[in-house]
Amino acid sequence: MKIGLEIHVQLPTRSKMFCSCPTTDAPAPNTHVCPTCLGMPGSRPVLNRKVLEYGIMLAKMLGCKVADVTWFSRKTYFYPDMSKSVQITQYDNPIGEGGVYYLGKKPIRITRIHVEEDPGKTKRVGDLSSLIDYNRSGIPLAEIVTEPDLSTPAEAREFLGQLIEDIRHVIDLPGDGERSIRCDCNISVGKERCEVKNVTGLKNVERALTFEVVRQTKILKAGGKIDRETRRFDEERGVTISVRKKEFEADYGYIDEPDLGIYHIKEMADSIKIKESPQKMAARISAEYGIDQKMAKQLVSASVGLAETFEAVAKESGVQNAVKWVAGPVSAGWKAMEARGGTPDEAVGIIRRFAAGEITDTECAMEIRCAMTGESAEAAAGASQDLERIVSEYLDQNPEIVSDYAKNEKAANKAIGFVMRNSGGKHSSAEVVEAVKRLIESRMRSHGVR
Amino acid sequence: MDRATVERVARAAHIKLTEDELRRYSDDLNDILTYFELLDEAPECDASGVNPVEVADVLRDDEPHMDIDPDLLLRDMDTYERYIRGPRLS
Amino acid sequence: MTMRDVLSGLKETNARYSMFHSMTDDVDPGDAKFLFSAKDNLTSKDMETCAGSKILIGYRPAFDAAAISKMRDAGGKLIGKCNMDEFGFGTFSYNSGLEIPRNPYDLERACGGSSGGSACAAAVFEGHVSLGVSTGGSICCPASFCGVYGIAPTYGRVSRYGLIDYGNSLDKIGIISADAGDLRRYIRVIAGKDPRDPTSCVQPELRDEGRKMRSVAVPKEGIEGLSKEVEAAFKESLESLKGMGLDVEYVEMPSLKYAMPAYYVLATSEASTNLARYVGMRYGQQEGDHSLKFDDYFSSFRSEYFGDEAKRRILLGTYTRMAGFRDRYYAKALKVRQVVIRDYKRVLADHDAVLAPTMPFTAPRFDDISKMSALDSYKADYLTVPANIAGTPHMSAPCGYDSNGMPIGMQFVADHWNEEVLFDIAERWQRSFEARRPEVKA
Repeated sequence: MKIGLEIHVQLPTRSKMFCSCPTTDAPAPNTHVCPTCLGMPGSRPVLNRKVLEYGIMLAKMLGCKVADVTWFSRKTYFYPDMSKSVQITQYDNPIGEGGVYYLGKKPIRITRIHVEEDPGKTKRVGDLSSLIDYNRSGIPLAEIVTEPDLSTPAEAREFLGQLIEDIRHVIDLPGDGERSIRCDCNISVGKERCEVKNVTGLKNVERALTFEVVRQTKILKAGGKIDRETRRFDEERGVTISVRKKEFEADYGYIDEPDLGIYHIKEMADSIKIKESPQKMAARISAEYGIDQKMAKQLVSASVGLAETFEAVAKESGVQNAVKWVAGPVSAGWKAMEARGGTPDEAVGIIRRFAAGEITDTECAMEIRCAMTGESAEAAAGASQDLERIVSEYLDQNPEIVSDYAKNEKAANKAIGFVMRNSGGKHSSAEVVEAVKRLIESRMRSHGVR
Repeated sequence: MDRATVERVARAAHIKLTEDELRRYSDDLNDILTYFELLDEAPECDASGVNPVEVADVLRDDEPHMDIDPDLLLRDMDTYERYIRGPRLS
Repeated sequence: MTMRDVLSGLKETNARYSMFHSMTDDVDPGDAKFLFSAKDNLTSKDMETCAGSKILIGYRPAFDAAAISKMRDAGGKLIGKCNMDEFGFGTFSYNSGLEIPRNPYDLERACGGSSGGSACAAAVFEGHVSLGVSTGGSICCPASFCGVYGIAPTYGRVSRYGLIDYGNSLDKIGIISADAGDLRRYIRVIAGKDPRDPTSCVQPELRDEGRKMRSVAVPKEGIEGLSKEVEAAFKESLESLKGMGLDVEYVEMPSLKYAMPAYYVLATSEASTNLARYVGMRYGQQEGDHSLKFDDYFSSFRSEYFGDEAKRRILLGTYTRMAGFRDRYYAKALKVRQVVIRDYKRVLADHDAVLAPTMPFTAPRFDDISKMSALDSYKADYLTVPANIAGTPHMSAPCGYDSNGMPIGMQFVADHWNEEVLFDIAERWQRSFEARRPEVKA
């Protein structure tokens, strides 16, 4: 089975790709429109610099070779929401080509990445007419095309999820980014492939592909032949439906776009440094500090800032302290710290003092808690003493947990569950988990278990 | 350019041709394309370009603004609750 | 004739010559410094803009074309929008879905195309200047047929913001006037960078340093296939130019014969994409049956409202860019354009201009035009097309009259951005050439 994806990402510019209409949510249909995005006769496109910059960032993130010179093409097709009946896209010389993106250790080849304009949106009304809103017309998109290197619908979903996380980080895509990502899915179980157009969301990509696997497999088993065709996914019914056969595909008749000229982007590309993507950061942290991949991933996916704090502490106070304190209480308090707009600097200083032997284990845990949540020392001390007391009493009564934990960390779950139920909701689950593990590990050390 | 090709081109271009037009345009286009065979013998050239003078690196800053009132653009359009009316999709 | 005279007689004059599709109702020029008209493919806020097509009837643009707003800013009053071949598709302004302008020297003859209405207005109204647009010769051809001066500047010299596109890599906005001095005067007004048209943003300043035209090259390929009278008038003009102190040298430009097919491929490829937007929605004709499926709805408008030549060029342009044919036609034509440009650069390294007659014959009668095949009329453009595909500035000046009294023109082609030498020769030529005005009646 071969699966390839064409992923469309709306780029977070403030104005549209070829005109200055705003990209923010519009108060009503057809309010963020102008002659250019409505395709009025006499209008003309002018390219938004930021679109090239985002395109280059994504090309770099995907390991593509960035073109020295890039330009645009006209793709002609007729549809009510395509105001010019022409989409300005890239055909020859796209921004980037020939990349590789790693899903874990598996390389997924990236054919190309180009930028293009989004059409408007069509609302179907009965059988009588369509209603078009061109507010979306001209919003910039990046299209990422993969080789058919994905092997299962689940893998496609995983790939897409990871890719979206990376994209979001690298170009600061807003949180609702997933809805603004659309996918064309190419899938072949046998020789001939089908394309399921315009699927939105991770879950739907997996559902649509799974439906296709079953459908195509059934046909092949019955000795039938798969028709090369374009299909669409009906989200409500969870099925794909044939839209048109290959022989009825539009001939787009690409020509170069003569209104824009060409762009020498080498210099721009050289000057753009992209942020490390979360996937790459996790892989690097795991390798560089010798911690397992799972922990590295957890750190990065909790927050890139947390992972950066981990690195700072590891460099300053050793990997052991980074694992113990950053993956522990700093991580537990991270959300609270972000909520009040704080920084992890104070916690880093506390860990430094612990590493220098200036404060004890218990003091360090308590002070970090204060630093992260902003609670007073007394409150934190009280709360953390309360929590530690409950944990300690439970471990006293159930000593086997400590010895079991050495074999399997899941043994801590029993204690965590008990403490959560009996601490009256005063502590976050992260704090409880941290306290239980810390106290079990401290008993293990004093008992010489290991 | 045979009849099937003219039909295919007309379909792509969204133009319906009557029998008479189909015949007439086939003849015209054949004349014209025969003349265009001159291009096959034209010298090759390493230079290329979309425009006759080089147009390069003209970009706009990412600053939103609107110069023309959208209501003015919509005044002559067939609209329904600000949506622009179009034909049936399928 | 005062401005007020022109305005008060506008409707009657137009009834005779049909130069305008739409025109002003004003009879008072107000504080206008001059009157001007514009080809109807330039958008205007106060007048319907149809580009000669039925499909655009009812289009009221919300914005002025850059060239029109610059003319207004300079004190001009727009009096009319000029009739033209539909979207610029023609050599005689005869392929119009609307009105066909009549030649001021003989109403049974064409004005030339596609800026026919503009050349007609320039010939008829005294002291009038008109904005024309050239894609393959649409300024110089009608200027020649109507006995006036016309200049198409370098591609990118004048912003195309507000121009209803024919071929975006070819279209150039220029000036048509009976007064050679207007070419310099008004190109200065409309030239310049415009952030709304990227292709206008790479131009150097318009030079105006008094550079003179000293030598011209006459390509052998440019004096073949001429009518006897055109040939005779041209030869006589060469003698006059020599008398004015210009060097005249015959040269060979082997690329010119490839310019024609390459031009038609590029122009129709681009045109067929530009015209894809006319589908009976958003502007122009919109009265249709929305319960038709969109493909059928679009096709019904396009089949009903596009004229014969528009359909022919859409079909041709769709074909030449189609998968499987694109390399042979479209991609090859892009390369041939570069070959033609090199040929011009080679010749213009030693000469200030390339010179040939503008058209191989004088304005034909309408009944003869209707007998011409599509290919015949395409071939009539062989003298104007090369400079247009190369984007080089070119200017037509009247240089004689045939036995019917119809004007003959000659066309100078200068190097990119060198409009200055064209202004110079136009002004000097005007002083030595005795022009015959048409007998104008309202």
